Amino acid sequence: MRNVSIIGVGLHPWGKFPQNTFVELGVQAVANALQDANIKWQEIQAIASGIYIWGGNAGHISGQYLAAVFGETGIPIINVYNACATGAAALRTAYMSVASGQVDVALAVGVDISPEGFLSAKSDNPRQDRDVLRWRMVGMPNPAFWALECRKRMHKYGTTAEDLARVKVILSQYGVLNPNARYRKAYTLEQVLNSPMVNDPLRLFEICATSDGAAAIIVCAADKAAQYTSQPVNIAACTMGSAIYGDPTIRISALSAPAKAEAPMLSESYSASQQAYRIAGIGPEDVDVLELPDNSSWHYLQYLETCGFCGEGQAEQMVREGQTQIGGKVAVCPSGGFSSFGEAIGAQAVWQVVEAVTQLRGQCGPRQVKNAKVAMAQTYGLMGNSATTILTV
Amino acid sequence: MDKQKIAGDKVPALPDLFQGEAGGVRLRSARCGTCGTCFFPEYHEQHRPGCSREGVEKILLNRIGKLASYTVQHYMPPPPFRTEKDITPYPIGMVEFPEGIQVVGIMVDYKEDDLVLGREVETTTFTLYRDDKGQEIVTWAFRPKAH
Repeated sequence: MRNVSIIGVGLHPWGKFPQNTFVELGVQAVANALQDANIKWQEIQAIASGIYIWGGNAGHISGQYLAAVFGETGIPIINVYNACATGAAALRTAYMSVASGQVDVALAVGVDISPEGFLSAKSDNPRQDRDVLRWRMVGMPNPAFWALECRKRMHKYGTTAEDLARVKVILSQYGVLNPNARYRKAYTLEQVLNSPMVNDPLRLFEICATSDGAAAIIVCAADKAAQYTSQPVNIAACTMGSAIYGDPTIRISALSAPAKAEAPMLSESYSASQQAYRIAGIGPEDVDVLELPDNSSWHYLQYLETCGFCGEGQAEQMVREGQTQIGGKVAVCPSGGFSSFGEAIGAQAVWQVVEAVTQLRGQCGPRQVKNAKVAMAQTYGLMGNSATTILTV
Repeated sequence: MDKQKIAGDKVPALPDLFQGEAGGVRLRSARCGTCGTCFFPEYHEQHRPGCSREGVEKILLNRIGKLASYTVQHYMPPPPFRTEKDITPYPIGMVEFPEGIQVVGIMVDYKEDDLVLGREVETTTFTLYRDDKGQEIVTWAFRPKAH
């Protein structure tokens, strides 16, 4: 396997763009990445692309739709789907194409458009689609699953309403500073605690919205990266994980979970991050910047433990002490997180890596983490999908 | 008699998930005779890695379980969830059964101080809506166990 570097990144800002197509959003992100890498479209030798479920058949072949706009060149285009980890699957596929030696330069794209409000079931066969059951029989949107786990955590470790609200306060102060964020308003603890209850104990400001957005990354064989950029970012690990038997987490879509734990919670993310630490030879203690999937305040706390940034039940204390803020032990989501961006499902895993790259290049202005050398992007998706990318400079 | 019907004229919104028994409503689950994994619903099979998957048998979960977690939901979910009227706010409970499985469901007939982790609950039904023939279309639900 060859070493692989990131030579270009590009985004379409996050928001709601009902007048636009996924192709339009994706084209802007790719054009920005090409410009950032100072590379011509014709030099891209492979593409991996993915979106979530609202593109119809066109969405299943999103890479072909995007390539048509820039001009078709006959290269391999692979379209991927791994729920909220779709973008990570695109990045890993591009990464593997280069690491294997098959091509020197590859493009990963994640795009998304989504309707307003709750996501819901897209088929009607309960025997093959768990989504049908959870919607029809229990009326369970995603935040209900997060709230059930959050309540367990509160019961077990004494997590308070203030602990949950504090996460939003921290993330919102970074979102204000990020020009690509959808929500750019700083909140006080009191404002978060006064936001409407959605799924008790989780309030409106403590869960993420659904957004539209697009992100693109160009990867290159490390020994050829200098041809394009003076600031290549090394991919130290790019892994994916799935769930492990006996994981007690109530997983989105499922109606049941084992009562007795035989595997860690969020085992898909435990698996992806442990693989990444082993491959990179880097541990959580070395990470300066962590982009984690803050779908809710519960995720922010739980992921610190799942990925080994603190011991079990210690995340709240870490947050109270300011150890997860810029200047603390590890800067967690200095991008503003999903809390400030919202989930653009197919795009967010690529976006997390783009944010990490921008930090390692020192281009984040007032939310820059000083002297950042190691960054990690942790992704999480429905039905046991996860990915971890560790980057170094 | 239509075996999918439970007590009275109540009809499950989807089949094969629960049934009425003399002693009350019980969830339909299944357990692997080889690896012991218990799963719900009975048709979403799950096994321990390496299991030969032999001897899966359908079981009925105990009528009574313990509240392992809950959330109170403050807005109505979109279709395909269907109820006659706005039922918010409503609790969704996660109930641990002695068979080693936790199952989620809407909670009914509760008072606020019943929402305590560890509290015993029993399985029942909840009427979502009435169809054109006036039949009650129901889902499974949990309520605090009568003392």
